[in-house]
Amino acid sequence: MLPLPRFSWEAPDRLPDLVRLAAEPGARLVAGGTDLLPSMKHRIFRPGTLVSTRRVPELRTLRVGADHSLSLGAALSLRELARHAEVRTHFPSLALALGSVATPTIQGMATLGGNLMLDTRCMYYNQPSGWRAALGGCLKCEGTLCHVAPRGAGCYAAHSADTVPVLMLLGATAVFATPNGELPIAVGELYPEDGREGPRCPPGAVLVRVEVPAPQRAVAFRKLRQRAAIDYGLLLTAVAPTPEGWEAVISAVAPQPIRVAAPTREALADAVHKAVQPLPTHQQASTWRKRMLRVEVARALASLPA
Amino acid sequence: MSNELVLHLVVNGEPARALVPASRTLLELLREDLGLTGTKHGCDVGDCGACTVLVNGLPRLACITVAADCAGEHVDTIEGVAVGGQPSAIQAAFDHHVAAQCGYCTPGFVMTLTHLFTEEPEADEASLRHALGSNICRCTGYVKILAAARDAQARMRNPA
Amino acid sequence: MSVRQPTPVPDPIGSYGAKIDGRERISGAALFVADLKLPRMVHAKFVRSTRAHARIVRIHLDAALAIPGVVGHCVGEELPRRYGVIPVAQDETALAVGKVRYIGEPVVCIAALDPETAHRACEAVRVEYEDIEAILTIEAALDPARPTIHEYARKPSNILRRVHQNYGNVDAGFAEAAVVLEENFDYPGSTHVALESHAALARVEPDGKLTLWSSTQNPHYVHRDVARVLGLRDQDVRLIKPAVGAGYGGKCDPFCSDICASHLARKLGRPVRIVLEREEVFLAHRGRHPTRMWLKMGFSAEGRITAVDFKAWADGGAYASYGVVTSYYLGVFMPLPYQLENYRFESHRLYTNKPPCGPKRGHGAIQPRFALEVLLDRAAGRLGLDPAAMRRDNCVEANSETCNGLRVTSVGIQACIDAVVQASGYTERRGKLGPGRGLGIATSAYMCGALHPIYQNEMPHSTVQIKIDRSGEVVVYSGTADVGQGSNHMLAGLVAHRLGLHPADIRVLEGDTSLTPVDLGSYSSRVTFMAGNAALLAVNPLRERIVAAVAEKLGCDPAEVSFGRPGHADRGDGPRVGTDTSDVSWVDAVWLAEEKSGPLVNAGGYTPPKIGSRFRRQSVGPSPAYSFTAQVAEVVVDEETGMVAVERIWVAHDCGRVLNLAVVEGQIEGCVYMGVGEALCEEQRYLPGGLIRAPSILEYKLPTVHESPEVTVFAIESHDPEGPLGAKEAGEGPQLSTVPAIANAIFDASGVWLHQPPFTPERVLRALDARARGGPP
Repeated sequence: MLPLPRFSWEAPDRLPDLVRLAAEPGARLVAGGTDLLPSMKHRIFRPGTLVSTRRVPELRTLRVGADHSLSLGAALSLRELARHAEVRTHFPSLALALGSVATPTIQGMATLGGNLMLDTRCMYYNQPSGWRAALGGCLKCEGTLCHVAPRGAGCYAAHSADTVPVLMLLGATAVFATPNGELPIAVGELYPEDGREGPRCPPGAVLVRVEVPAPQRAVAFRKLRQRAAIDYGLLLTAVAPTPEGWEAVISAVAPQPIRVAAPTREALADAVHKAVQPLPTHQQASTWRKRMLRVEVARALASLPA
Repeated sequence: MSNELVLHLVVNGEPARALVPASRTLLELLREDLGLTGTKHGCDVGDCGACTVLVNGLPRLACITVAADCAGEHVDTIEGVAVGGQPSAIQAAFDHHVAAQCGYCTPGFVMTLTHLFTEEPEADEASLRHALGSNICRCTGYVKILAAARDAQARMRNPA
Repeated sequence: MSVRQPTPVPDPIGSYGAKIDGRERISGAALFVADLKLPRMVHAKFVRSTRAHARIVRIHLDAALAIPGVVGHCVGEELPRRYGVIPVAQDETALAVGKVRYIGEPVVCIAALDPETAHRACEAVRVEYEDIEAILTIEAALDPARPTIHEYARKPSNILRRVHQNYGNVDAGFAEAAVVLEENFDYPGSTHVALESHAALARVEPDGKLTLWSSTQNPHYVHRDVARVLGLRDQDVRLIKPAVGAGYGGKCDPFCSDICASHLARKLGRPVRIVLEREEVFLAHRGRHPTRMWLKMGFSAEGRITAVDFKAWADGGAYASYGVVTSYYLGVFMPLPYQLENYRFESHRLYTNKPPCGPKRGHGAIQPRFALEVLLDRAAGRLGLDPAAMRRDNCVEANSETCNGLRVTSVGIQACIDAVVQASGYTERRGKLGPGRGLGIATSAYMCGALHPIYQNEMPHSTVQIKIDRSGEVVVYSGTADVGQGSNHMLAGLVAHRLGLHPADIRVLEGDTSLTPVDLGSYSSRVTFMAGNAALLAVNPLRERIVAAVAEKLGCDPAEVSFGRPGHADRGDGPRVGTDTSDVSWVDAVWLAEEKSGPLVNAGGYTPPKIGSRFRRQSVGPSPAYSFTAQVAEVVVDEETGMVAVERIWVAHDCGRVLNLAVVEGQIEGCVYMGVGEALCEEQRYLPGGLIRAPSILEYKLPTVHESPEVTVFAIESHDPEGPLGAKEAGEGPQLSTVPAIANAIFDASGVWLHQPPFTPERVLRALDARARGGPP
């Protein structure tokens, strides 16, 4: 049995305490723990203190506006959200994305905030500690060489949060609490270009909620994976019409989700295929993933009303 | 900051208490501290479902749950499923169909199904398969597990 | 008080229902090694090699041993004696001695008060290595200029074993053929992924003897090897196999956990428990050999197989494990289930610097069966024949001998083919399901245990002892290892059948080398056939003694005495023994028998018959009986993505006789499941430097419920003349034909032949592209 490394535990029930504890040296926030705890078991992270977000009421609040806009507490589980009548009725693509994460049991543990703050993933990184030692580490962890692109400029670990492409097309905003008040950041702005960094979280800030504006357009979502449960996505595809034409957000291909626009519905798949280059961050062949870009976009479009 | 803590929780309906390091997983707490070894270690990192227990009625993977996170909560394990020493309908159906070959994944499956049929007694085939996607069985090809689940569901709807 | 209507005890044979040990498995009560805890027990973990092939220059332990809570350690030099189940290929040590041979090989074992401390201590160990060129491919292993991985052989090379056999006249067979086809195939490596990881708990008893609890399929071999490596007498080691969370062949070897827990328990004077982490289970491996194959077959115009020529190179990893056996199994079973006169094969089992391969369900026979069944379908297409009918016309007859000297008794292959062809509508529907959907058929045969023991001896392969207590309790003692396949129930069912009792009335005590007589282990599908026969040999004389005593008491002809007669439930003494006019209770019958003829204890030992072979070398492969399977797969190919879904499998398996239908069906369904995994998604792969790519259930893509097909099982009963009540195996054979049935169905769906499982989307698309470009299918 693989034990967790040692840490101490805090579970505040007031938001100011959560913000204060999150800023302590060596502290790390944990919500559902479904991504963080495996990484800690793999000794990727060894925080001195884990600070649970789960007991703070502000992070567990769901509000629905008269216009069906949503304010979703960051510590609400994916399961609660996916089953919520408002989400299902007015944001079916979000419900689909929430329900495509890992397994139903994990959806009951994992939180929306945790999904937004999911670390980037790579087959050379998300591995046990002894494995990484045999590899000699990688650019993101314990090493200096990127095994995905040895001559590249940085780390290409893939953004892999299933809900993010949809949230981006829905125009969602992540709202952080900081010692100096609230800080809203558009979901699409959370992810830096270099995979080493993981999601951008201002120092000492805590993701409190995600605000989704009133539904304005239909969004379609697809997750390409080998198995219909457990797996992370090989491609995450969200598409939607825009006033100027069509756009797609593709993820699981780079540290950032990639936004691609096209003037017509017919042109979107080609535009995506041209703009996106999956790298060998996954066990599955990147040539095949590249080819699937067109298929996934076409199928996503086909699931939207004409 | 607390490196070690005294945890109070309710396990299978009875109060339980343990002094544990903060880094204890719920799986270790159940197995090593409380002696409830029916919940199994399979994959270490939340992929296989062998360690599924119910926390406040919802399935959780005990191997990636910090025990401290369950302070004050109700935890149900395979040891608490039988009613008056008799197997539950799900367990009895697993027994009859030999849906437990080696039996190592079985506690996890029983907990997943216990939750499903409590929450959704009329679960259809799609819901059933969806729920079972949380658990890996390497022996049965899921054929007998599905048969047992359908059988148990029918019995729970129409107790003889 | 009400008296229930007396009912006869139903014969358990052939019924569908719970196993005798089902209750403990559904309740979480079954105790596996990791569930056992002893006073003062400590936890040990391994430092593992980060190099594929290197000399160990120095091991720095000081920092690790200084960590509070660390209580002891051991290194390879303490355990230098090489072990291995196959006597001619003992090449393994529990911890690397002098050099490491694969990434992940255990180098140091450290014991601590808790697993986290042990883990931290292992991280603090530093090992200096001096790299040696690593052998990572079949080509490199065959190159005599490269370094050798092992030095123990008389003539060092990286070929563990080459087997060459030639029967009939292969060249003449090809000369007379109307169609000759040849093809290269690559079968991937895959691994078992039993959900219970390997575990061991060792304790030194007050008298100095050792008790080892091990999650093993083979208590007897582990017992012998642990004693040998530790320099103990066999009789001073007791090996107990508690509940085991399955094996599928992955727990057939002695493992580092067994030996290091035992050694450290003696060294530290306290119990030591080792439970492998999931990553370590992938490294322990012993899975399917990745195998490169070349197959050439000749066919007459009517579809008769005129000749088969086969070559195979199995990439075996760093240690032998059962690799010598693999080299034979790659070739020996090829003729069955067909009639074949002219056959030749050449197989090689190679050493490479990767985790060792070994026996995985369908050991050695899976790979060639895939090649042969695919080529057979191609030939049928070329000859314009129906593939099912063509197979049926080639089938072996009962009570015959194959060209390579396998004695065949019961044969149910035609009935198997008929059952799946009819149920699936194969004849009418094949080729008519439209693009993207198709049907494929394949057949296969497998063994029921090996005729010859692994180590040379003339003793029984399986002994079962039965004690009937004065209370009426029947206890069966057997050295078998039930790892989930249901062998306990099989033993109970046979004994219950003979004594007219319920299986649940029989207590089976198994897998304890001090308590139970020897059974060689749960491998090569031998347990039902061999331990089952031993159980009948043990119970039959007891039954006769009871008959004699009861006949004497009732004053009747012993031939009139029958068992399992209706009893009075409220008296609690079970069913009755006697005639239609008078009878006694089961307990009274037992008392009468013990009074008349002494203690009711008897042992039976099964030794396979001495079957002469025309061929002197044919020592590995022959079996007392063979099982047969036919299956049809229905697949859907998404021609845009290349993704294949196996929607349904119809499988008919000749298991001789059904002892418990739920168990037999479960074994067959489990085989199909593993076959689907190997066909679609499972592969144990390595980075170019020898580092395993995906040591996790997240990335090793075993099928979930969503990828698992609907399975329709037909149990075909051919009543083997030597099997226990006619029974044969059901736990391995059905997997052999799953992968080729799927490959053949993909051809029917999309017109492409795939010669390399798993049939991943990129491979399927590549084949579809080649077809679109007008290349060969």
